[in-house]
Amino acid sequence: MSALAEILFGGLFQGSLYAMMAVGLALVWTTIGVFNFSHGVFMMLGAYIAWQLVELGLPAAVAFPIAVVVMAGVGWILQASVVRPLIGRPNIVLVVVITTLAAGSLIENGALTIWGPRSKQIPALITGNTTVGGVGVSLHQIAIIVITPLILAALCMFLNRTRLGLALRAVAQNEDASHLVGLNVTALYGLAFAIAASLAGLAGIFMGGYRFMSPVMGSDPLLKALIVVVFGGISSISGPIFAAYLIGFFEAACSYYFGLYWTPALLFGVLILTLMVRPEGIFASRSRGLA
Amino acid sequence: MNPILSVEGVTAGYGRVTVLHDISLEAGRFGNVGLFGPNGHGKTTLLRAISGLLQPKSGRILFDGQDIVGHSARAIVGAGLIHVPQGNRLFPDLSIADCMALGAYSPRARPHEAENREKVVKLFPKLAERWRQRVRTLSGGERQMVSIGTALMSHPRLLILDEPTLGLAPKIKDELCASVMDISRGGVPLIVVEQDIEFLLELTQQLYLVNHGAVATEIKPGESLDHGEIMSMYFGH
Ligand SMILES: Nc1ncnc2c1ncn2[C@@H]1O[C@H](COP(=O)(O)OP(=O)(O)OP(=O)(O)O)[C@@H](O)[C@H]1O
Ligand SMILES: [Mg+2]
Repeated sequence: MSALAEILFGGLFQGSLYAMMAVGLALVWTTIGVFNFSHGVFMMLGAYIAWQLVELGLPAAVAFPIAVVVMAGVGWILQASVVRPLIGRPNIVLVVVITTLAAGSLIENGALTIWGPRSKQIPALITGNTTVGGVGVSLHQIAIIVITPLILAALCMFLNRTRLGLALRAVAQNEDASHLVGLNVTALYGLAFAIAASLAGLAGIFMGGYRFMSPVMGSDPLLKALIVVVFGGISSISGPIFAAYLIGFFEAACSYYFGLYWTPALLFGVLILTLMVRPEGIFASRSRGLA
Repeated sequence: MNPILSVEGVTAGYGRVTVLHDISLEAGRFGNVGLFGPNGHGKTTLLRAISGLLQPKSGRILFDGQDIVGHSARAIVGAGLIHVPQGNRLFPDLSIADCMALGAYSPRARPHEAENREKVVKLFPKLAERWRQRVRTLSGGERQMVSIGTALMSHPRLLILDEPTLGLAPKIKDELCASVMDISRGGVPLIVVEQDIEFLLELTQQLYLVNHGAVATEIKPGESLDHGEIMSMYFGH
């Protein structure tokens, strides 16, 4: 009983964080067709901005939303500075890997300079602990497990039910045709980055509430998010969401039965198998497009 | 009547390759305009320059008296100049309903959305039956109808069609030609690129033969030509 509860809980929790990260990566891929390697840095920056605002005396309920909004701006600016100028280049995917990596490294070192290497922590969403099915858990983690699906559902609603969401899905599929119906393609690219950066920032705030933060805290989640989108298929937004939870459960089960030490190796084993059997990802249809 | 569109000395191309060489033409003075000419001589390139997808290297493009060179494609759509591109690639994973909503995206078209949707459904009843179907699952003819329908949703003041009947079977092609004639009768001036000269002769009042990125011959109203003469233009020079 408690084994099941532990795996279930661990999977839901890790899956939530992975989903928050992976969705942003997938959103940027589907709309612009590039991989954003500064996505992990967005996560770190969101956490540090939230920490700074709390340090300045703002209550968490104010500081966290501000940090998320600031991250939207950061995402927009990053897009405008290191992605937009390159659009139209033949080898854009590779070039953007390099420019976003470079920007990410700059931001990471900037954070190190500003905030120093000492580990920090931000307030939990809810303080306190409880037991579920014989497993002790923090209320913070439960809050994340509840909030994340709500946010992801809201994102799906936005993409599927609003005209602006429709425009984002359209731009993902055919840029010329998007221009010809009068969509503001550059603004939509900026919006995709802004949403992705906000979600990453929020994931950072979630993470900073239960683990110590450091300027490199985003690199492992970025790697996991990459695995998630490769595993789930980069062609949609729902594929990575399902994949994120699946991988969360897989990791939880592995570390329960085989120990933390073996988990990454097993995860990569599964990833390689997936790529061999279904290179487009397990939940993917063959096309690029959102929803 | 003043021309609604005039292209004045436009030079354009891709990278270092120049495709259009100082091309000039006018549309809307005598009615619909047809463009024809051999493959790869710049018809599509010209339309892309007109709709702002491609920046000309030099020249002016006046829409309703205003120079639109350097304007964004969005601004040009906003002014009512609507371009249906060649090859109806469209938005493969969106439904017909989604495409129609996108067609009405610009603020100019938004207030007319319901009225234009009715027009589209009346013109292409087939689309209504498949309203929620994804574009990628439609036939070539149906996709072309969606392309043109989307353009009509944009409330065009001038409609540009790039080879609307390309690759269609004769029966569907005739239906589509009839629909395009209907659109024209509805009062929207057209610029149409077509390989089917018969269709162009029926639909348009003024023809341009585009060859090597320039106008080789202009055929004004009154100077009626038969099919044979046009064919000799194609192959003659
Ligand atoms: N995106 C592009 N990049 C580079 N060259 C291009 C591009 N698009 C077209 N061209 C070139 O420009 C020239 C003119 O092409 P364009 O498509 O305008 O011809 P067209 O008259 O429309 O031909 P068709 O009747 O086959 O549609 C061709 O030589 C083509 O190879
Ligand atoms: Mg063409």
